[in-house]
Amino acid sequence: MHLARLRLRDFRNYARLDAEFAPGFHVLLGRNAQGKTNLLEAIYLAATLRSFRGAGGHQLIRHGQQGYFIGARAVGQATREIGIYWSAAERRLTLDRQKVRRLADYLGTLRAVVFCAEDLQLVKGTARVRRRFMDLLLAQTQPGYLAWLLRYLQAVRSRNAVLKRMPLDEALLEGFTDELVRAGEPIIAARQRLVPQLAPLAQSACQSISSAGETLELSYQPQVRGELRAALEAQRARERVRRATLVGPHLDELMLLLQGRPAATFASEGQKRTLALALKMAQAEFLTGAHGVPPILLIDDVMGELDQSRRAGLLPLLERAQHARGQVFMTCTEESWPRELGRALLRWEVAEGALKAVPA
Amino acid sequence: MGMTSLPEPVERLAAALGRLPGLGPRSAERLALHLVQSDASQVRSLAQCLLDARDTIAPCSVCGALTQSQPCALCADPGRDDTLICVVESALDVLRIHKAGVFHGRFHVLGGRLSPVSGVGPEDLRLDELEGRVRGGAVREVILALATDVEGDATCHYLARRLAGAGIKVSRIAHGLPAGSGLEFADELTLAHAIEGRREICG
Ligand SMILES: Nc1ncnc2c1ncn2[C@@H]1O[C@H](COP(=O)(O)OP(=O)(O)O)[C@@H](O)[C@H]1O
Ligand SMILES: [Mg+2]
Ligand SMILES: [Zn+2]
Repeated sequence: MHLARLRLRDFRNYARLDAEFAPGFHVLLGRNAQGKTNLLEAIYLAATLRSFRGAGGHQLIRHGQQGYFIGARAVGQATREIGIYWSAAERRLTLDRQKVRRLADYLGTLRAVVFCAEDLQLVKGTARVRRRFMDLLLAQTQPGYLAWLLRYLQAVRSRNAVLKRMPLDEALLEGFTDELVRAGEPIIAARQRLVPQLAPLAQSACQSISSAGETLELSYQPQVRGELRAALEAQRARERVRRATLVGPHLDELMLLLQGRPAATFASEGQKRTLALALKMAQAEFLTGAHGVPPILLIDDVMGELDQSRRAGLLPLLERAQHARGQVFMTCTEESWPRELGRALLRWEVAEGALKAVPA
Repeated sequence: MGMTSLPEPVERLAAALGRLPGLGPRSAERLALHLVQSDASQVRSLAQCLLDARDTIAPCSVCGALTQSQPCALCADPGRDDTLICVVESALDVLRIHKAGVFHGRFHVLGGRLSPVSGVGPEDLRLDELEGRVRGGAVREVILALATDVEGDATCHYLARRLAGAGIKVSRIAHGLPAGSGLEFADELTLAHAIEGRREICG
């Protein structure tokens, strides 16, 4: 899959951009604050309708303007034209110039995986970050998963509200417990199937990136083993004191083990970076396997953070992604760009919200 | 950013209209502007219609549907099956199901569904009335026709438990959106937020 064309109007610091991109490995070079990350953000937005920086619509509109527009041509099995317009008063999403009515009809038109500094939280952050990692993968590959997850989260919220009511209405609690169990079980089952598929991908990426050949194991640790209903029953007394739902997949963990030890506490900074990259590579490869085409890789400011040997390990993995007529977009500064890839690179210069091809 | 502000009575009218379900601030404003520029007699008759409707319509003392007479025509109709009660959330659901023409029993409007997050508990729904009707004797089956989201489903589980022991059958028909398939664009966007909520700390 590749992005053949990108048009931006009043998006971040781009007043106007019209660019065509071939499949292959694109490097976006430029000093700080020129618009490199903004460009990746626009591509990711076309893929997911969300900013990977967590920015809301207003922040994306170029200062002083009314609304932004992103036009993207996605080439996969078919060629699709994406149009996104966003202003305070109006939001328009079109696919081949037709208004999109349901998100499910849209998602998947363009697929992208982003690598950025915040990925380090996958290793350093709380279990919540790793649950979200599993949930995003499952939502993108398993029909129905997102719906179960949303139901489950709503059931937890409702059940917690019931537990806070005084006096406690047991029958009411039971009603929402039924719903919690019904939605919770398929979530645990889906995560249980996912992790063993993901683990070898992460392990092999980790071995390529780290010259020392360290082993990375992923271990899904559902907070509830066995029956969810029985686990809730066992927590009856505690739940009534704490007035909250104390067990369930909203508390699951995805353990990362480096050389058999918990990575969050035992890994060095450099190793943590390796693991985060390995997880993102695993994500990209899992999506490739599930959909038959590689997602577009968006790599933001990652090179500068890596030592020579890790760079040497990572670059071949990224290069591989472009072989199936895939695409990689990588932002770099003059110091950090991967010269070792030489002529295979398609280079662009980003300066003050404008993009210029650099001849090879 | 709107235009320079409207005369105060128009603002007030727009604000009142904007509180109606399904009317956003912009359409409320448009409607208000339309009304104040319409023929005065038309507006006066519209106001009269509103008052008449409000004054003559009340919930049916038996089923809770909207009616001009007590009990409502559906409750009074001797041709309907007293052994079946179809439980719905709102008076509008009664109309929809009645129009479909396949149900020939009685109705019961709950007036909502259990929603702990918005403070709607069993005491806020017409549950005692339902139990009273079920205990009345004639009823053999209660059919729950509630939405199939978490709250609708939990309300069904709750009702099934509460009516157990009354010696009747409690069944369920899917009503509204099937689980997980009918989510609207806007909803899914806000909901997708639940899994991918990141704060601005990257790049
Ligand atoms: N809504 C906006 N309107 C105009 N300029 C913006 C907007 N948002 C960000 N910028 C500008 O974009 C630049 C940062 O772009 P970014 O892509 O993050 O830089 P980098 O090239 O370092 O990755 C800054 O100069 C910032 O002021
Ligand atoms: Mg940047
Ligand atoms: Zn009635």
